[in-house]
Amino acid sequence: MSSIQLEKIDDFRWRIPKSYKPGMRVPGIIYADEKLLKDIYQDKALEQVANVAFLPGIVNASLAMPDIHWGYGFPIGGVAATDIEEGGVVSPGGVGFDINCGVRLLRTNLQFEDIKDKIKDLVYTLFSDVPAGVGSKGDIRVGNKEEKEILVKGSKWAVAKGYGTQDDLECTEENGAITGADPDAVSDRAYERGKAQSGTLGSGNHFLEVQVIDQLYDAKICDEFGLNLGQVMVMIHSGSRGLGYQVCEDSLRTMVNCLHKYNINVPDRQLACAPVNSPEAQNYLNAMRCAANYAWANRQCLMHLTRLAFEKVFCMGWEKLGMSLIYDVAHNIAKIETYNINGKEKKLCVHRKGATRAFPPGHPALPDRYKRTGQPVIIPGDMGRNSYLLVGTEKAVETFYSTCHGAGRVKSRTAATKSINLNTLLKELESKGIIVKASGRGTIVEEAPQAYKDVNDVVNVVHNAGISKRVCRMRPVGVIKG
Amino acid sequence: MVEKDFELIEHTADVGIRVKAKDLVGLFSKSGLALFQISAEKLPAKDKEKHKIIVALKANNIEELFINWLNELLSLSAVECLIFEGFEISKVDENCIEVVAIGVDIKNYKVNTEIKAATYHELKVEKTGSGWVAEVIFDV
Repeated sequence: MSSIQLEKIDDFRWRIPKSYKPGMRVPGIIYADEKLLKDIYQDKALEQVANVAFLPGIVNASLAMPDIHWGYGFPIGGVAATDIEEGGVVSPGGVGFDINCGVRLLRTNLQFEDIKDKIKDLVYTLFSDVPAGVGSKGDIRVGNKEEKEILVKGSKWAVAKGYGTQDDLECTEENGAITGADPDAVSDRAYERGKAQSGTLGSGNHFLEVQVIDQLYDAKICDEFGLNLGQVMVMIHSGSRGLGYQVCEDSLRTMVNCLHKYNINVPDRQLACAPVNSPEAQNYLNAMRCAANYAWANRQCLMHLTRLAFEKVFCMGWEKLGMSLIYDVAHNIAKIETYNINGKEKKLCVHRKGATRAFPPGHPALPDRYKRTGQPVIIPGDMGRNSYLLVGTEKAVETFYSTCHGAGRVKSRTAATKSINLNTLLKELESKGIIVKASGRGTIVEEAPQAYKDVNDVVNVVHNAGISKRVCRMRPVGVIKG
Repeated sequence: MVEKDFELIEHTADVGIRVKAKDLVGLFSKSGLALFQISAEKLPAKDKEKHKIIVALKANNIEELFINWLNELLSLSAVECLIFEGFEISKVDENCIEVVAIGVDIKNYKVNTEIKAATYHELKVEKTGSGWVAEVIFDV
């Protein structure tokens, strides 16, 4: 429970004053409404927003999205940009262990009517053909040399292998491969951990969902994206698996030990960091980019397996099924981006930990097809309620073009396990027409809708605050969990 | 039901544990076992072969050693496909640990939860009047 007194800026923005804690370099800004604030006050996330404000070089504010909850170091839902020229740092804890955990959304030409009698078959086929769960191994096996290639080429490697198309790359953040990845910065142990995990979903909150569009908010953009009511969509949420965890762990070890060297004082060692221009930080960024590329390749492979499963069930090629990628976005990443700060162009290191990049219309990094609309922003909810597609806005410059990344947990896994009955939950979901298959029965309970905030409330805040704009809403009909 | 040698600490997104022991051997051993008791449940044994792995770590202080120890076990478990069931600790002080970690093939277990890493957030490793206590949050 937090005792921080927040200052109200407006109905959707709240401030932790810089004076809250000696050592804060900037204030904290939380995007929330009064309803969500009640949940946010329940854990230590606000304290973590204040702690992030200690980072050297932090610009404007330590930011938190409405799905904010207690993490380690940074809160989940935290955004912080540091000014590289002013000694700004990069913190592996500001990215997290699951580097480039992210989500992608595919459209199909199918309508709910086309699949309603086949949902069970579809879910069981997806569950059988897409490796999921702890320790699951993929059929997509690569040798050492090829693994290094994945770390540099990301999704491009997968497409070259026939697991996708050029169009997929255009619809992926960074075209599926961030530049500056250096395989030599990745430890042998990280390679070992990643070797058998290409094309595997993982566990915990990672999922593959079949969804149906149940609400359109912006008819014009829906038209541009080829979306309509009742349309079947697929959402894939996964990350860089063991390779990413090891990259984070390796660099944290280094950075905890170099805090003294750079005379950096942070209130939580999980915020350990180093100036972006230092060798320690450069080594981390080079390795982090490798893990990010691994994650993009992984989601590309997962999408390939998904397309094949649909082909099997509907006896039709995936192209005919219209299974094109809307977009793929990272949730846990640090990027070097340029912003105008007080009239000067500045290179900033933008940490998004449980937050989504949301570039506005016209942004040069966007492909032509999204130049008019803004970047598609994909917000998964929980397995029992909704998920959303939004687009980025110019107003989001105040959050370094960032918005929320999901519903955000409100109940711990242990509390969920104690209070939720698996069979009752499965019956409830089935009564809503949602079929769930999971490797671990415990995962279903831990990921129950009751353990999450209502994503509708979360998206309401980012939409009304103007930092991204609702396009359409989906409801789940089939869920695969690890 | 095996009695657990640790208490769970509530955490919104992740899982925390509190472990008490009379000495460092007990603390490191119980904490290492806790990792796998949280994430996996034993199935009727398919294969009784025990795999022994030597772990030797050094660190600047006890907290760093504790985190490195837990993360090393997670990492070895993933790479070697083992679940660790016991530890023969031949040496442990505040700066180093030497252990033979005894594991069995992961197929002898049903793994329910993936622990990604042990974190420094709210980490506590302290000597008390009656021994040692540790609190640690795991990223799951």
